[in-house]
Amino acid sequence: MIRSPFYFLLMVVACSAIAFALLVDAALTQEKVAERKFSSPAESKTDYERAVAPFLKKHCITCHGPKVAEGELAFHELDIDMKASTSSGRWAMVMEKLSTREMPPEGRAKPSDDEVKAATSWIQAEMKRAGKNFSRRHAIANGNKISHDKLFDIKQAAPFDNPVRIRVLSPEIYTGFSTDIAKGLSLGQPFTPEGRTTFKDMGAPKIDEPVTVQLMNNALVIVERQTAHKIEGGKLVALPGAVKDMLSYVDESVPLTPELMDKAINGQFQKIVSRAPTADEKARFVKLMQKNVKEAGRATGMRYALIAVYLMPEAIFRYEIGAGKVDDKGRIRLAPREIAYALAYALTDKRPDTKLLSDAIEGKLDTKEGVAVAVRRLLDEPKAEKPRIKRFFREYFGYDKATEVFQETKANPEHDARALVEDTDKLIEYILAQDKNVLYELLTTNKSFVAYKTAADTKKKRAEAIKKFEEQKKKDPAKFGKKTPPKIGRDVYTAYNLSDFPDQQPVELPVDQRAGILTQPSWLAANAKTDENHAIFRGKWVRERLLGGVVPDVPITVDAQLPNTPDKALRERMNVTKQEYCWKCHQFMNPVGLPFEIYDHFGRYRDKEPVVDSDATAKKVDKKGKSLGIVLREIPVDSTGGISGTRNPAVDGDVKNAVEMLRKLAKSEHVEQVFIRHAFRYWMGRNENLGDAASLQTAQKAYRESNGSMKALIVSLLSSDSFLYRTPTVENKK
Amino acid sequence: MAMNRRDVLKGMTLSAGSVLLSPILEKLQAQAQGRAITPKRFVFVVESNGVRPEQIAPVGVQRNPRPQQALNGPAEFVDLALADRRLPMSLEPINEFKNRVTIVQGLSGRVCGGGHSNNFQALGAFGAGRGNGGESMAIEGETIDGALARAIPGIFPHIGLGISKRLENNVIYNISAIAANRALPTMCKPDQAYANLFGSVAGGNAQREFAARNNLLDFMREDVGRARTRLAGEEREQLDSYLETFETLRNRQSRLNEIQHTLRERGPVVNNKYTSAVETDRLDAQFDIGAAAIICGLTNVLTISSAAGVRDFDITFRGLGLNIDKHSIGHGGSFQGHTWADLYNMIRRYHFTLIAELARKLDRVREGNGTMLDNTLIVYLSDGAEGHHSRCWEWPMVLLGNVGGRLRTGRYVDYPGYGRQGHRTTANMYVTLLQLAGSNRDTFGMRDQGLRDLDQTGPLTELLA
Repeated sequence: MIRSPFYFLLMVVACSAIAFALLVDAALTQEKVAERKFSSPAESKTDYERAVAPFLKKHCITCHGPKVAEGELAFHELDIDMKASTSSGRWAMVMEKLSTREMPPEGRAKPSDDEVKAATSWIQAEMKRAGKNFSRRHAIANGNKISHDKLFDIKQAAPFDNPVRIRVLSPEIYTGFSTDIAKGLSLGQPFTPEGRTTFKDMGAPKIDEPVTVQLMNNALVIVERQTAHKIEGGKLVALPGAVKDMLSYVDESVPLTPELMDKAINGQFQKIVSRAPTADEKARFVKLMQKNVKEAGRATGMRYALIAVYLMPEAIFRYEIGAGKVDDKGRIRLAPREIAYALAYALTDKRPDTKLLSDAIEGKLDTKEGVAVAVRRLLDEPKAEKPRIKRFFREYFGYDKATEVFQETKANPEHDARALVEDTDKLIEYILAQDKNVLYELLTTNKSFVAYKTAADTKKKRAEAIKKFEEQKKKDPAKFGKKTPPKIGRDVYTAYNLSDFPDQQPVELPVDQRAGILTQPSWLAANAKTDENHAIFRGKWVRERLLGGVVPDVPITVDAQLPNTPDKALRERMNVTKQEYCWKCHQFMNPVGLPFEIYDHFGRYRDKEPVVDSDATAKKVDKKGKSLGIVLREIPVDSTGGISGTRNPAVDGDVKNAVEMLRKLAKSEHVEQVFIRHAFRYWMGRNENLGDAASLQTAQKAYRESNGSMKALIVSLLSSDSFLYRTPTVENKK
Repeated sequence: MAMNRRDVLKGMTLSAGSVLLSPILEKLQAQAQGRAITPKRFVFVVESNGVRPEQIAPVGVQRNPRPQQALNGPAEFVDLALADRRLPMSLEPINEFKNRVTIVQGLSGRVCGGGHSNNFQALGAFGAGRGNGGESMAIEGETIDGALARAIPGIFPHIGLGISKRLENNVIYNISAIAANRALPTMCKPDQAYANLFGSVAGGNAQREFAARNNLLDFMREDVGRARTRLAGEEREQLDSYLETFETLRNRQSRLNEIQHTLRERGPVVNNKYTSAVETDRLDAQFDIGAAAIICGLTNVLTISSAAGVRDFDITFRGLGLNIDKHSIGHGGSFQGHTWADLYNMIRRYHFTLIAELARKLDRVREGNGTMLDNTLIVYLSDGAEGHHSRCWEWPMVLLGNVGGRLRTGRYVDYPGYGRQGHRTTANMYVTLLQLAGSNRDTFGMRDQGLRDLDQTGPLTELLA
């Protein structure tokens, strides 16, 4: 449906008035909840009877009660004392289902926001009493579970819900930081992403001991280098890598005056956390220095004091706590300095540049428009590297995993996963440079780079080698006559079904063979097994990342293995998934995965596929009846499939192969919205919830109105309320 | 110190802090009271590329690899004494310990994914790789060394040493885990491992460093403690876990301080193998460090990874004169007239030479009425289970040690085929180890749905004395 901008604007104005009223209400309820503290099971029970029991009776008990217990959940048996029982896990799930509005299901009467809030706040309060560390942030591992239609419903008015947070630095930020500060030193990586989240930087991994040890060792390596010296004839002599200014800190011949200590502390603070120390901090560091120097000598003592700054929470955590007062919507705006850091980390792996920091000080980041200007500046700054944008596409598509799939080199000596990944990187860069209809291009382009880094060079070397060989052959036909010229490099172009490296890049591949990133050999190889296609992985990707669907994890009771019948095509072997129990999930994957059967597991286009010829293999034996190896035969590829779930009958329906499927999907507004949800997750570092509806809708509008500009989308996301505001936890409000 | 240490230690039992008594203090205290506590220790040696079942049966015992299907073996439990049999070529180096050896065949590990390596799943029992061709790096639960580390924590609850095919790899994570999604490190550079474990007594500046480090840790405890009070809820929890790491490290410093003398006396001597580019040199060095770490009482759980994991399994053992990588060997490659089977045996034999030397070292240290080896169990297995392309229908293992006589050793045992009555899994082996460590757990990891008709709980009672 195409709405006029004016209509849109009208609705926004009309809705926000209603939304405002609701939000104030919700905020008030929350305030009341915050004051209430269950001090005993009895108190909790009273509140349960008041707020939850009637709710369950009205909305839940029919399907989750004594008569029926859908999903093995029966509320009359679920203990309400979470401290004395193990029920908190189930309650956490109940909370998730309610707050994502997944329950009650479609077709049932909908509870009001207030009703839901009352029920969920009891769950939270009881969890708190029970000391169960239920975390809202982690509750919803799969962002797609949030109702798509509700997120893009322009009447959506759910309260803003984006808790304050602190997170450790990402591995990339740490690397960026340490290479800036410690050029040429090789430091171990202390941080690892949490895993299991859609994007790597979404979790909030906790620090454990090996992390701290690594942080400490790294800091020591840096400081030791900066103060590297030897003592010759009682005098300190600098060693390579030493920072002249810092040598005086460890030089025994220089008295450790208050001024010198001051300088040392100041220097470390500026370098590491980009600010001056407070008076209190200064006093504590001076104390540490004095104690250390007394007990461990000047050099060692000073070094161990200097590294403390590297370990301060501020140096290894990203703070998004907010500053100022809670507004009438229960939100708190990030402090300008926090915004500067958040923006820098959203686009780069580096700390904010001086311009961004001065913007923060000068109040330029105090408005949405000001933030948008700052983001534009960073995006348009040609010299500033923005690795986070490239990483978004890598993580979203996952084609870089091609290098992690182990391939038997014998099966295809020309396979070069690294080159294929580089080609796709380059293709995305190319599309982003145009910055027009970005998603559409990503899903449909027939352009491709082909071993673009090495193609020209390999071609040249090959020509030289042949020339040299021909000369040798001419001179010594006896020796070289039967030989072939030496081969240089791999025929990477075969992955693209070409017969040689192209001279011009990007090259146009046949439109009926390739359509965008999902038909790039890198993506196809990344979603493959060692020796064959993985139609289920491919289908899962399309279902989740383009169609926004939910595919449950393989149930623990299922031994998910395809039959080992190499004489059958993969499609046929996958027939086992058509049993009713399996099909419940596989219906979402197989029809959108099998269209990729027009490619093999190295990403080569094909219309025939090889299977084992059992009869011929059985006959191929020596005199003693011992097998002489397997015989293959080719059968035509069946790549049919079907799209479902786009809410658009013109897009849904049968397709004959992946190319047709992708061209159809690229035109779907639903797919565009799912893409925007993923961009949201990546740049917010969390899953979306109903309270983010406005930010998401505005982002989609910005993308549409700019003719599919990725820059416009990023500017919109990074200046959205979802990016700039937080809801404080109860205690943090004070 | 003016006070008598014995009295201090005795008095501690009466204080409120006694419940938090560290194992080392507990040990000292036990000694002070004239009561001997003998800690149990576990060493895992994990070699990549699979252990072929036919290659670890004693000479004269025909044991073919089992077919990759249910009911793939006999219904009877096989139990043979090693005393009157010759060990196979690759196990000959541990011949002198034959009466303490148990060769265990016929366990399955079908919940794991299979493939070139089972990664974390090898020492765990979870199905991250189910059906996707295996080789998953997912950590769906604890591994046995992680579980033991929690059951019997030493100063270092777990030490992971290993080699990677890449010289530049320092610390890698691919085989051990303390819990789901929490990998334990494998230190791949012997010199770094040495610095981490014995650094407190290395070099002349050690004493000063030690003091400065303590001050730093104290300072950080206070600093992080301050920052945490300004936060609430989950944010505070983030800082709490950070704070906890400083508490742990500070505590460890104190404990290292207590055993400084031992570290000096019994620590390893650094040699040029510690930084060698030759794979076998580095593995030699890691065994050296590992032995010393156990002897010094730094840990009760040691894992030595010989290039385990899907990124490293195709290592080349050039130090053995081989110029063929393990992947090629797994695919039937031969080298200078040696068949793939010979090559498998040669490489395994080298590992057992190192295991034998480790056992000898432990056997030379007196402990209680016996030696350290009496209280140690060395477990040898492969992250690649039964072959190059493992499917985990069986998972051969070799145990060395009888854990204070609690294992009935000197035997070759073979469990009934998959699905048959009496069939057992690697999870049962790991339960056995946990119980030997004093735990009363009777399950480990995930249940195998393919064995739902069998009892999958409890230890391998057949191995117990």
